[in-house]
Amino acid sequence: MYLKKSFIIAFAISIIGLGAWETYWRSQGYHPTLNDEKSLWAMHRAKVETASKNEVVILGSSRAYFDIQLNEWENETGKTPIQLALPGSSPLPTFHDIVNNTNFNGTILIGVTPGLFFSTTFPQASPWSRAQSKVDYFKNRTYAQRINYQLSIPLQENLAFISADEEEWSDDIDLKSLLRKVQIGKRTDEPIKPPFNNFGIVTLDRNMSMTDRTINDTAFANGIIKVWHFFGKGAPPPDKVATIAFFMEDLKKFKARNGNVILVRFPSSGGVRMGENHGLPRTDFWDDLVKQAQVKSYHFEDYDQFKNLKCPEESHLSSKDAQYFTTELLKIMKADNALSNSKTN
Amino acid sequence: MLFNSLSFVVFLVIVLALYYSKLLNWTSKKRMLLLASYVFYGLWNPPLVILLWISTGVDWITGKNLAVEENERKRKLWLLLSMFVNLGFLGFFKYRDFLLDNFTTVVNTYGYGYKSLPMDIILPMGISFYTFQTMSYTIDMYLKRTERAKTFLDFALYVTFFPQLVAGPIVRAGDLISQFYEEKKATLNQFIWGIFLVTIGLFQKIVLADTLLSGTADTVFGSDKLLNGVDAWIGTLAFSGQIFFDFAGYSTCAIGIALMLGIILPDNFKYPYASLGFSDLWKRWHITLSSWLRDYLYIPLGGNRHGIIRMYAALMITMLLGGLWHGAAWTFMVWGGLHGTYLILERLQRKYIPFKITAWNGMFLAFITFSCINITWVFFRAREFKTAWNMIKSMFYMQTDGVKILRNFDIIKVSVVIAILFISHWIMRNTSMKEVSLKTSPLLLGIIWGFMFLLIAIAQGSGEQFIYFQF
Repeated sequence: MYLKKSFIIAFAISIIGLGAWETYWRSQGYHPTLNDEKSLWAMHRAKVETASKNEVVILGSSRAYFDIQLNEWENETGKTPIQLALPGSSPLPTFHDIVNNTNFNGTILIGVTPGLFFSTTFPQASPWSRAQSKVDYFKNRTYAQRINYQLSIPLQENLAFISADEEEWSDDIDLKSLLRKVQIGKRTDEPIKPPFNNFGIVTLDRNMSMTDRTINDTAFANGIIKVWHFFGKGAPPPDKVATIAFFMEDLKKFKARNGNVILVRFPSSGGVRMGENHGLPRTDFWDDLVKQAQVKSYHFEDYDQFKNLKCPEESHLSSKDAQYFTTELLKIMKADNALSNSKTN
Repeated sequence: MLFNSLSFVVFLVIVLALYYSKLLNWTSKKRMLLLASYVFYGLWNPPLVILLWISTGVDWITGKNLAVEENERKRKLWLLLSMFVNLGFLGFFKYRDFLLDNFTTVVNTYGYGYKSLPMDIILPMGISFYTFQTMSYTIDMYLKRTERAKTFLDFALYVTFFPQLVAGPIVRAGDLISQFYEEKKATLNQFIWGIFLVTIGLFQKIVLADTLLSGTADTVFGSDKLLNGVDAWIGTLAFSGQIFFDFAGYSTCAIGIALMLGIILPDNFKYPYASLGFSDLWKRWHITLSSWLRDYLYIPLGGNRHGIIRMYAALMITMLLGGLWHGAAWTFMVWGGLHGTYLILERLQRKYIPFKITAWNGMFLAFITFSCINITWVFFRAREFKTAWNMIKSMFYMQTDGVKILRNFDIIKVSVVIAILFISHWIMRNTSMKEVSLKTSPLLLGIIWGFMFLLIAIAQGSGEQFIYFQF
C-alpha cells in the first residue's frame, strides 16, 4: 500500500502548502476579490436578450465602469442598469452587437473616452479586439464554461490567491504573473511598460470601484498615471471619420426601433486631461460627435457639480466621487428627460 | 468539458460516486457512464451529440450485419456504408472549406472568377478521434479480426467513453469493448494511481504547457516580424514542449480517469523526445494514431510487401494523410510530408550506411532526431507558409538582422524546461513511470505529488482548451 502513504503525504503537503500560500498573500495585503473576466461580462450581456424598454445598458470603457455606481443608480431610478462597459475598449463593437443581434430598444448610455471611442475600427487593433473578443465569447460560450464560472465564484470570493485576471495586472499572483515579473537585463528594443497594478474591485453585479490604496497612496496612484502616459505616447492617431461613421450607422438602426442613446463624457484630470485636450480637442471630436448623433449628451466640463472633480490617477473617480457623480448625473438626466424610456420619467 | 476545469471535477466526483454506489448494477452503471459521456460531450455543444449517435448507430448496424453476412459483395457494401458516413462527417465538417478553397484557387487559375462561400461550419470536438475509433471496429469486423459487440450498450459506450472521447487514446474495439462485459472496479492502488496520473496530466497541461511554454510559442509564432535566430529556435522549442505536455497531459489524464473506474486504456506516449530515429518516434508519439494509420492505411496500401518503391510510396501517402488528419491545411501536409521524408531517409540510411547504436552515439542520435522534429513543428504551428518560411530562415540564420522579441528570462525559462524534458525522456526511454514509482520511496513520491498539486493550484490556469481538441 505504498501509494496510500504517498497519497496521504501529498494531500497533507497540498493542504499545508495552500494554507501557507493563502496566509502569505493575505499578510501582503491581498484579499479575496472577483476577477473582472469575460465570463462575468457574458453573464450580464445575456440580460440584454430579455431586457425591457425601461432598462438601461451602460457601454463604454473603464470610465463608464468606475464612474457609474450601480447602487446610486438604483437609488435614483429604482432599477439597476446592465453594466457592460469594458476597460481599454472602444464601445463601438458592443454597441454594434446589441443593435444588430438583439431586439433591445431601451436606453443605452455610452461613455465617450475620446482616446478609445475615436481610436479605430480596425478589427485587430487593441481597443476593438478587446471588446469584440468579449462579444465573441458571449456568442460562443459553452454550457461547460457557464458552469465553470458559477463554480469559480465561491473560490474567487473566499481565496485571496485566486487572482489570475484577464487583464494580466502586474500585481496578480498566479504563477504566470509571478514569472512575468522576473526581469534579467534588457534584450528587446520594445519600450518597457511601467508596472500596471490593479486599481479596482468588481462585484458580481459588475459594479467597479476604485481601491482604497489608489485613493490614499499617492505613489501607487502615480504608478497608474505613468501607465496612462505610456499608453498615450504610444497611441496611434485617432480615426474620427471611420469611428463616427460606424457609430452613426448603428445609431440610425437603433433609433429606428425607438431606442434611446445617451452620450456621456466622464471626468479626467491632470496630465491625462491635458493630453486629451491636446490630442483629441473637444471641439473637433466630442462636439462633432454630438452634432451628428443628435442624442442627449453630457460633458462633465459643462456642469458646475463636476468641474472640480479630481481623479486620483487622472482618469477615474474615487468610489466616493463616483457615487456623487452618478447621483448628480442622474438628477441632470432626469431633469433633461433623457431617460425617456425609463418608468421613472 | 475540459479535464482542467471545475465543472469536470464536480462531474467526475458525481460519476465516481454513482459508479461505486451499491444502488446500481453493472448494466445500470454502464448506462450511467454512457449518459455521463453524452453530458460530458453535450455541455460543449448539445446538437453535435447527434453526430455521435449517427456514427454509433451506423457502425452498430454495420457490425451486426458484418457478423452474419457471408456474401462478400454485401459485406463490402456494409463496410462502404460505414466509411461513407464516418469519412463523410469528417469531409463535411473538417475538410469542406479546405477543399472548396483549393477548388476555387484551381478553377480561378483558368480565369473563371468563381467565388466560393465558406460555410464556417463548427468543427465538432474530437470528431477525428471518434470516427477513427468506430471505423476501426467496422474494419476489424469486416476483416473478421474482432468479435461483434455483445450489446448495443457496450458498443455505444465504446464509441463514447468520456475519458478518451475527444482526444484519444484511440482504442481498438478488442481492447475496450470486452472490458465492459464484466463488472469493473478499481483496486485501491489502481484508484490512487489513477489520481496520481490525473495530477501528472494536469501538471503537464496547466503548469508546463500553459504557464511555462505557451506564451513564448504564441509570441514567436504570432509575430509578423523576421525574427532573430535565437528567438525562432526558442519559440519552436517552446511549442515542441507545449504540444507534448498538452497532448501527453490529456492522454495521461484520460488513462488515469479510466483507471479510477477500473478500465485500462493503452499508453499513447512513451518519452518520444528521446527517440532514436523516426521509426522509433512513431512508436512513441501518439502511439494509438500511428498504429491506427499503420494497420488501416499503410498495410492496406501495400506496406513493405510489394517492393521498395511501393513501400516508400505507402509510407509517404500514410504520413501525408496523417498530416491532413491533424488539420485541413497545406501546412499540416508539409508536416506529414517531412515526417514521410525522414522515414524514407532513415530506411535508406539503414540499408546503405548501417551503424550500431551504442550508449555513446545514442544520445547524439536522439538529439539529432529531436532537432529534426522541431523543424517539422514549425509547419505544424505556423498558420501560414510565410510565417513558417520566415521561421525556418531565422532558425538557419539566413537572416542576420532578425528582430529580438523575447526577454532573456523567457529564453532561460524555455531552455531549462526543454533541457529537462529532453534529459528526462532520455533517462526514462527504456522504463515507465510505474516502474520508477515502485523504486521511489513513498515519502519522496508523496512530496513530489504534493508539490505538483500545489503548482497546479498556484498556476490556476484559465481553462485553456487542449490543442488536440481542434483535430
